[in-house]
Amino acid sequence: MILALILVYVVTLVYLAITERYRNFAAIISVQGWLLFAVALLRLHAIHPAELAFIALETLVFKALLVPAILFRIIKKTKINRVRTSGSSQFGSLVLSLTALIVSASLTYCMADRSIHLVFFGVALYALLSGLTLIVLRSQLFSHLVGFLVIENGVFLFSMAIGVEMPWVINIAILLDILMSVLLMGTFFRRIDARIHADDADALTHVKD
Amino acid sequence: MILYLALSILIAAAAFPARSQRHLFFAGIAFYAVQAGFAVRLLADGLYGMTSAGIFTFDAAGTLFYLLLTLVSAFAYFHSEAYLKENDIRQTRTYSGLLLLLTTVIAGVYFSNNLAVTWILLEATSLCTAGIVYYRRTEQTLEAAWKYLFVCSTGIAVAYLGILLLCAATGSESLSHEAIAATVATANPLYLKIAFLLILCGYSCKAEIFPLYTVGVDANFAAPSPGSALISTGLVNAGFLAVFRIYKLLAVSSVFPWVQHVLLLTGVLSLVIGALFLRRTNNYKRFLSYSTVENMGIAAIGLGIGGIGVWAALFHVVFHTFIKSSLFLQMAVVRQVYNGYRINRIGDYIRINRVGAIGLLTGMVVLIAFPPSPLFLSELLILKQAIVDGAWWLVAAMVLLVCIVIYSFCSMMPA
Repeated sequence: MILALILVYVVTLVYLAITERYRNFAAIISVQGWLLFAVALLRLHAIHPAELAFIALETLVFKALLVPAILFRIIKKTKINRVRTSGSSQFGSLVLSLTALIVSASLTYCMADRSIHLVFFGVALYALLSGLTLIVLRSQLFSHLVGFLVIENGVFLFSMAIGVEMPWVINIAILLDILMSVLLMGTFFRRIDARIHADDADALTHVKD
Repeated sequence: MILYLALSILIAAAAFPARSQRHLFFAGIAFYAVQAGFAVRLLADGLYGMTSAGIFTFDAAGTLFYLLLTLVSAFAYFHSEAYLKENDIRQTRTYSGLLLLLTTVIAGVYFSNNLAVTWILLEATSLCTAGIVYYRRTEQTLEAAWKYLFVCSTGIAVAYLGILLLCAATGSESLSHEAIAATVATANPLYLKIAFLLILCGYSCKAEIFPLYTVGVDANFAAPSPGSALISTGLVNAGFLAVFRIYKLLAVSSVFPWVQHVLLLTGVLSLVIGALFLRRTNNYKRFLSYSTVENMGIAAIGLGIGGIGVWAALFHVVFHTFIKSSLFLQMAVVRQVYNGYRINRIGDYIRINRVGAIGLLTGMVVLIAFPPSPLFLSELLILKQAIVDGAWWLVAAMVLLVCIVIYSFCSMMPA
């Protein structure tokens, strides 16, 4: 079951590379949140119920509901719709995404070791590469924000595979840190849109001598 | 430590609703009284060497950097009071509150003995710094704040993947330094290498070294000068210490020579960037920021070369903190006089502010490691270790790049 969910997770990452509508970006982040919630429930069912409840709540409320809501709000407020000028074609993005998938799978295969859950590590690596590809190839700031969230979700997936026990305070602090980052980035994004009238990183050229 | 953090955060929070400069001044007095009290407890009351709440340890490096931080932060805060007194109180109080919060969070990084806690606190420094950078509410500061927050958050997310991989490789059940150090010697070398690369890459945005040094340069450039003094020293030291602790953890593993090579390469690349960009900029704040990249590159080379180089690296960072913070604080005065930082528009400063000009000149001379500068000693020790190890390519590269740096400084020296 977990494997099936992770496969769907991989499909969302591939889809992210080819879609050009911002609403789809936000929807994919939400789907990933639901998938992470399901994986957390299935994978961590053996841990302390209170801890499981916290992780489940974290993934459901934060990753599946709150962050996508913030993204939809940004889209609504800034009236952005779709990628206008992509750094590369959809086909090019798809090829690059599949190459990243092959690289991740190959690297994971080469690293084969019992101390790490390879499927989780491979998918986390693919998420990292997908996020970085999104940040590097797309010039829109909103795509960069989504790229950051994709990396965060990948790291979260990997953290579930390791099962490091951390005190509640640390878990809450990690959650708050990421939430504050997303909120602040959302705020800055809206201000950039309002003041500089730019949703494109190429237009950000004010920081110079 | 928890009491210290709670008190510091409360006082910092009290600065946010301040209605006058006077309130901010008293908030500063209260905050630095807490810092002084904590420093006294550390040094004279037996706290040194102990562990608090299981996630903080008061070790030598942390204590030394904390004392430096307190000093630099106090100067930056009270200098800001004078520097920004004409500005809107609503902006100033947010800035002041964030400066105090940043100081608290950096102190937490210095004493943290848990990789997750270090990560959380470094992420928190990004939030505070972005707010400080955005102080002037201009298009330039907005852009710099966005870039800083975005690149640091992404970099630190990458570093967290490295931390998790390190934990998985060592089979440790917690992310405390002790737990990881206990099993790191038997961990899979390939995992350790990838983990170190990810962590170094992520934390480079804080330590202002290659590859993510650019956001630090932009942040220092856009922030008010007293804020830059804290960012380019206290915060950079936090990134350096975070990397240094990983370096120490890996010292007993089989990948340590490889880790040293990576640090050497990172250091040399940072030095190259610092040396080349120093020549290209026409802005004093960017000039000082690239100088930070160059100096942190030298510190990374010190760690990479090992032996006496490690001691020299720490020595270099300590004295860099003193000099760079002083220069940034003096830059605040320069801006008041010339209404900008453009190098080609600043001249005859010695007639306007004799003491300031001499201070600026002395700082620049010390920063280029002209003897008897303490930076000269640290660079000499690093070179000596490189010669002892027979790393002639490193000696040649360092000498050439340092010469370019000296030439850049001499051609930009304020009149």
